[in-house]
Amino acid sequence: MSPETSAQAGHAPAAERRPPSRRAQFADLLLIQLSNYRWSWRGMIVTGMAVPLVNMLALGLIGRPYGPEYLVHVLAGSIVVALLFQNQNNVAANFAYMRAMGTLDFFATLPVRRYLLILATVIAFFLLSVPSILVTLLAGVLVLGVPVQLHPLALLVLPLCAVPLAGIGALVGVFGRTPELVGSVTLLITIALLLLGPVVVPPSMLPDWVVHTGYASPASYAASAVRQVLFGPVTGRLWLDVGALAGLSCLTLWIAGRGVQWRER
Amino acid sequence: MARVAYRVSHLSKTFPKQRRPANDDLSFEILEGEIFGLLGDNGAGKTTLVRQMVNLLRPDRGTIELFGRDVATHPGFVTMTVGYMPQRGSALNRLTVAEALYLTAHLRGLTRRQAAAERDELLELLRLTGIRNRSSERLSGGQRRLVQLAVAMAGRPPVLILDEPTNELDPANRRHVWDVLRDRNERHRTTIVLITHDAIEAEKVIERVGIMREGRFVALGRPADLKRAVSPRRHVELSFVPGKEPALPDGITPWRRTEDTWWLTVDHGQVPALLAALDFTTVTDIRLHSATLEDLYLHYVS
Repeated sequence: MSPETSAQAGHAPAAERRPPSRRAQFADLLLIQLSNYRWSWRGMIVTGMAVPLVNMLALGLIGRPYGPEYLVHVLAGSIVVALLFQNQNNVAANFAYMRAMGTLDFFATLPVRRYLLILATVIAFFLLSVPSILVTLLAGVLVLGVPVQLHPLALLVLPLCAVPLAGIGALVGVFGRTPELVGSVTLLITIALLLLGPVVVPPSMLPDWVVHTGYASPASYAASAVRQVLFGPVTGRLWLDVGALAGLSCLTLWIAGRGVQWRER
Repeated sequence: MARVAYRVSHLSKTFPKQRRPANDDLSFEILEGEIFGLLGDNGAGKTTLVRQMVNLLRPDRGTIELFGRDVATHPGFVTMTVGYMPQRGSALNRLTVAEALYLTAHLRGLTRRQAAAERDELLELLRLTGIRNRSSERLSGGQRRLVQLAVAMAGRPPVLILDEPTNELDPANRRHVWDVLRDRNERHRTTIVLITHDAIEAEKVIERVGIMREGRFVALGRPADLKRAVSPRRHVELSFVPGKEPALPDGITPWRRTEDTWWLTVDHGQVPALLAALDFTTVTDIRLHSATLEDLYLHYVS
């Protein structure tokens, strides 16, 4: 394009242009991060759907005699399993990949704010995890016969459950030295979060120390919140869960934001 | 008089656990609209230098100004002014080529319509139209390099910093890239800083060159001036009809002879006399060589 046609097209010289608005930055970054479905769909099927389904079927069918409360725990816990794999693990893998491929450097050379990149990444992977949540929920209702009592707060609570898990993923992805190390660490954290706390089985069936450890785990708060907004009843405990999830979300994202080095020392 | 695009003053950088500085007290200027080449052996500090120029790396000492603004305190100005193509890495490689160009142009401040026009122009300019809907991770190394160059150019930044832009390209694409860069420089006065090991081909476009060794400049100036300083002599290859040996001016003798070709070395000032003395009815070809940028590079680096 000649300078004349460039002028006709209204191209201002780059240095005189204004950077895009935050909303436009966020929209572009979200589109870029949503393109991750091109690789994560396999994981969505294997770890996002198959692992929660196997977990739910194994624990649900074996433990059916323990009654409906137990089955609700199993189903809510299986949804948390889907959230863990689809958010924590995929966000960690994505940040590790972005570091390895120079994508973080690339974004640092664009007029882009790093907190918007983190936010877009977290939201994109939550959106990509929605099919896993729905499939797990539907299978639980059909196979285990757990009745759903959907509360409107589910629209707020489900994304909020995903954020601290994604935040932990961002932390591991940002600080892990290699993608391989990041993969191993996130797997260990996933196992720890599922086992240390009343996530997939009721607290009455766990030793006290495991129940108490769960107070430090976002997965326990997520499981409790998911149980209340999807299967009822919603109690005052929900506000404790929401507060804890919001606090852990802010903490993990803040640390991850500090860890994304736009300018290497 | 051209404005100074980059002013680098007493820049030093030493990486942790390294004793030798990667950049050691570098000071130089790059003018607006100039094509500036950085040559040097591996580990000479070229990439470290340009990463500081694009604000990806914090210097230990010294300052870098871009059009009079300190890059450390004006990061937003740098991102709106400079397009950077790194030596390695493949950002946005899960997007299609067209998506990567469009979104980069839009993030550099073009409207959606302008970004779409810019995408189409760059696809055509760098001959990427045929692969516009393929994701970069499925492309060959050379195609990926072309996409990265297009991404650096998206949004038409006034300064381009390109770290080995012709790596992995075949000869035809290498030549095309140099033509594209020269054209971008001439039409839009784009300032171009490029690191290359492709010294012979880069010579066609580079206006000023800095040759680095162990973190310092060992030579800095116009290639012609540097070449004169290194080797004022010219090499001449003279072909003639066999048996019809040409007459040469006094003081010039071939240092190698075959039946139909002589090789001579002459001073720059002897060239007119040599040409005047030759009988072109018997001389079939004449080739005059000065030192190349590669000779210069090898002279300073070896």
